[in-house]
Amino acid sequence: MRASIAFASLCRSRDLLRGAHDRRVSIRQAAAAAGMSPFHFIRRFRAVFGETPHQCRTRARIDRAKRLLATSDRSVTDVCLDVGFTSLGSFSDLFARRVGVAPSAYRRRVRARAAGSDGVCAPGCLTLMAAAFATFEKRGRPVAGRLPP
Amino acid sequence: MKIKLTSIMVDDQDKALRFYTGVFGFAKKHEIPVGEYKWLTVVAPERDDLELSLEPNVNPAAKAFQEAMFRQAIPLAAFEVDDIEAEVRRLKAAGVGFTTDVTRMGPVTIAVCSDTCGNLIQLYQPAKGT
Repeated sequence: MRASIAFASLCRSRDLLRGAHDRRVSIRQAAAAAGMSPFHFIRRFRAVFGETPHQCRTRARIDRAKRLLATSDRSVTDVCLDVGFTSLGSFSDLFARRVGVAPSAYRRRVRARAAGSDGVCAPGCLTLMAAAFATFEKRGRPVAGRLPP
Repeated sequence: MKIKLTSIMVDDQDKALRFYTGVFGFAKKHEIPVGEYKWLTVVAPERDDLELSLEPNVNPAAKAFQEAMFRQAIPLAAFEVDDIEAEVRRLKAAGVGFTTDVTRMGPVTIAVCSDTCGNLIQLYQPAKGT
């Protein structure tokens, strides 16, 4: 079973947009790399990845910024430029809208948490089940075959 | 021992709920907030005793696994359909991206599409009588 050629091209273009090769590419360039017109590229991209190329690139930049803020000592301005934004104001606004706090506040929060306990809490797979089943119990819904938390 | 619950990792639970109910046509069974995330399950409309949990994919190891499988065009779940041609037509009209079009593979006919949440999903229709 082979996936369509277009699928592999879309995956490669997504890498480009995410800056996987340390290159800044425009949507037009990413479309050209996939061998599609920008219009067609944006449509196919969205159908496969659930977001537009622009949204994908922005999300990747914010994710990289979060990582740099958490793990490096680079200033907020440097982080802003490192991940591909050109204006500190628009970076800070966008970051605050997406993450809920300003870049500097995010850095403080993550560091306080890491120093406080066992680091970042990443819920795995089915670990949310215990809390969900506790809610069922409170609601009085019988739960058969319940797993221990 | 029974299988009543299975799960799939999704990159965004709200987006996943919209896609799995609005596009695939499953029904929401549970949506219980647990901290930053949710215990979120869906069921097929005609049988609600088997739940699919849409789990937040926030563990870096799980993310790496999911993305590697996606890149290799390997589906992480398979759903059975009665009429695959009609189902694929319906999903394409709804804007769903397919990586493998309707393909006959011996006693089963398959198609593979993206769930927009980081997974490829195989749809399959067994031949009559199997």
